[in-house]
Amino acid sequence: MVSPTIAQVLGPLREIVGAENLLTSASERIVYECDGFVVEKNSPDAVVFPTSTDQVARIVQACNEADIPFLPRGAGTSLAGGCLPVGGGVMIVLTKMKEILEINLRDHYAVVQPGVVNVWLTQALSGSGYHYAPDPSSQSACTIGGNVATNSGGPHTLKYGVTVNHVLGVEAVLADGSIAMIGGPAGEMPGPDLVGAMVGSEGTLAIVTRVWVRLTRDPQGYRTMLGIFESVDDATHAISAIIGAGMIPAALEMMDQGILVALEEAFQFGFPLDAQAILLIEVDGLEAGLDTQRDDIIRLCEESGAREVRMAADQQERLKLWKCRKQAFGAIGRLSSSFCTQDGVVPRTQLPNIFKKIQETSEKYDIRIVNVFHAGDGNLHPILLFDERDPDQVKKVMEASGEILEACLEAGGSVTGEHGIGVEKIRYMNKMFRDSDLQAMRQLRDAFNPDNRLSPDKMLPTAGACGMEQTHPGRQAAL
Amino acid sequence: MTTETLSLPLTETATPVDQDELAQQVADCFAEQVPVYPLGGCTSLDYGLTPQQEGIGLSLTKINRLVDFPARDLTLTVEAGMTMATIAELVAEEGLQLPIHVPDAGQASIGGVIATNWNGPARPGYGTIRDYVIGISAVDGTGLPYRGGGRVVKNVAGYDFCKLLTGSLGTLGVITQVTLRLKPIPPQATTLAVPLSDLEQAENLLSGLVNSQTTPYAVELLSGEHWQDCPALDTDSPWHLTLSYSGSEEEVNWMVGQLEQELQEQALPVAQQLTDDEHQQLWDELVEFPAGKEDPLVIQATMVPSGTTTFIHEARQLDPACSIQAHAASGIVVVRFAEFPEDGLSRTLVGTLQPVAAAAHGNVVILSNPSGREMTARSTWGSIPAPLSLLSRIKNNFDPGNLLNPGRFVYP
Repeated sequence: MVSPTIAQVLGPLREIVGAENLLTSASERIVYECDGFVVEKNSPDAVVFPTSTDQVARIVQACNEADIPFLPRGAGTSLAGGCLPVGGGVMIVLTKMKEILEINLRDHYAVVQPGVVNVWLTQALSGSGYHYAPDPSSQSACTIGGNVATNSGGPHTLKYGVTVNHVLGVEAVLADGSIAMIGGPAGEMPGPDLVGAMVGSEGTLAIVTRVWVRLTRDPQGYRTMLGIFESVDDATHAISAIIGAGMIPAALEMMDQGILVALEEAFQFGFPLDAQAILLIEVDGLEAGLDTQRDDIIRLCEESGAREVRMAADQQERLKLWKCRKQAFGAIGRLSSSFCTQDGVVPRTQLPNIFKKIQETSEKYDIRIVNVFHAGDGNLHPILLFDERDPDQVKKVMEASGEILEACLEAGGSVTGEHGIGVEKIRYMNKMFRDSDLQAMRQLRDAFNPDNRLSPDKMLPTAGACGMEQTHPGRQAAL
Repeated sequence: MTTETLSLPLTETATPVDQDELAQQVADCFAEQVPVYPLGGCTSLDYGLTPQQEGIGLSLTKINRLVDFPARDLTLTVEAGMTMATIAELVAEEGLQLPIHVPDAGQASIGGVIATNWNGPARPGYGTIRDYVIGISAVDGTGLPYRGGGRVVKNVAGYDFCKLLTGSLGTLGVITQVTLRLKPIPPQATTLAVPLSDLEQAENLLSGLVNSQTTPYAVELLSGEHWQDCPALDTDSPWHLTLSYSGSEEEVNWMVGQLEQELQEQALPVAQQLTDDEHQQLWDELVEFPAGKEDPLVIQATMVPSGTTTFIHEARQLDPACSIQAHAASGIVVVRFAEFPEDGLSRTLVGTLQPVAAAAHGNVVILSNPSGREMTARSTWGSIPAPLSLLSRIKNNFDPGNLLNPGRFVYP
């Protein structure tokens, strides 16, 4: 059943993108009812696949004329419901705008359309001596447009920063259907940093149709190590010692025993199953300094009580280690049919305390929790395992998640380090921010999106209507 | 500098003692529709258009306290009036740095540096101030206090006011407190200077650097009278390209040797490694150069790096006696004119240099023009790469009375 309002926009949409780029039947639209956050679902009223900026602009104008909400979507790998069509409307899927338009090594930038998959750019640059630094774990599926919307992180943010540190400019269709160029390949511009404000705005300020990204020189070499610890305390102590010694590793990841067991079953890497925590540590840069850094790190790990520190012998072993890490979430399926991942952040020195809190919470609710941390950044991903057929467990998981996130806030942290607010974490916004902060956020949103037709009911709590009632935890597939 | 000597139309200057008092004063000004001019270290008041409306100066000199310094977390929270020199001293005790280098660091406040998006020569190695601000508090034009970000290095909750306020020139809020991420001070740093006979040689060296195995944290192309007096540089050469390296002793030594080899392979002149004293002396000069307040006109162009030498050539044509500093790997050129351009700014900047920069995706702004002549929105700010209508809507939502630094930026 097509609503009368949507019916009036279907003709114009068909004219803009052609019938082959428009989905209207319920069976086709249902594919777009959610992203990686599968708890809350709602089908869009229509799905369009524009192939140019001009088409995006005309779609937005048509939606405005018909007073219909609209929202952008990339690959749909986001984890907080950022591209959930709350209240329906027109979903603008950007995956057919997938060209790498320019690679300029002399001026170290590339220009891409939003539907370019993150790893395609990595591949296109392979052998050039340059790379695009942000590498979220979902990089083989997620799009750069989506990375811009969510300000994606990944395991290498400790040294290289997150997406916003690598975006120089964007071309965007604004909520009124006009096309704007903001920033550009030269990066710095006078006046407020609008590019920076748009990155991470979760599709609520504009629809990005072209992105200028910074390219980074490849490091000459890597040293990748695996520190094996008898306790999480020892492992976090080692992290503080490494950073306190003035080193900034490219990556510093921690996995606890629960996740190790699952990974070992999946990949047979030879992880010791009785270790309480392992650190995956990678330094990169000039060959000249790497062996010294490696030796220092091994020494600091041992001084912090590491049972053993292993080294990836060659590139093949290094890639296998990273495969284990990036596919950690795939391995969770071996432990439990349902799981819920949180994304809290604490100052890195608070890691031992928050880990204790997670363990206490696990015991209190009798819910098994395993952990993968971007430990160098203080970014936690506790994974709560449960059986979604049992309503009691579902309720406990919700409560336990809330307790962990509130503990992150008490420790001076955040409820999300890289997944975003979307619809999932709207209820935490007024715990993290004061009313006046949220008021200022509305001031910014309203300047870009005055009629709030662009991705309504996201990120900011709305008086009287806050998206959907959340009664069920998230089951998420990657991070 | 005392606020009485400032080029602002101030009826009085208030010095609130804390952030609450400041918010109240802004709210009072909003109630009475009185313009507010935020004052940090007052080192960049020449930047941008000169405000004309009478109003109240709001000094942040007493809002300058340390709030939190968990050194092991590599973060620092301070009030916005703290000076850059104080921050540097404070964090250096823990072996850390905020690698943003600005002139008059003893005066310049962190809030002012963020509001003007002022960045020094170390962009290639360390990025810009936007990469370091992870939490921010401000007061909007109605007196509403607001904050964004937090105290952790990774955080995507809510809109990023840290970015919005970077470069906002005090027009969207008075910045009152910030949390910064810090970096370790590398054990070693050194500079190599390559004397060059002409711009063509400079261009060859710069395009070769794209494939260099070395990773300089600063690449500076220097020329003109100012640099003739610099004892660290060989005074017989008209052009100098300096490359600064930092890291462990092993890394720095390797890069120095490697650069020498790469220059030789490209048949470029031999680089001279400066002594530690010369390195420091030159660095101070590099940081202070853009201030140049005694000169009749100082401009800054931003473009893609490959446009740098063409732009410098054009600037030289207009004023053969000008002094030039280019952050050449970042596409930034600062020109200190020896004379105020005879043809006037609409011809020199709007008609000539702005289009040259635009051809390299860039723009030109005025850093200082003591005469105040011909300061129009176009000559002062060039062409802003963002729709004015969008900027104006943001301005209006954060400052509906147009009371925060009115007349400074391009808003109508």
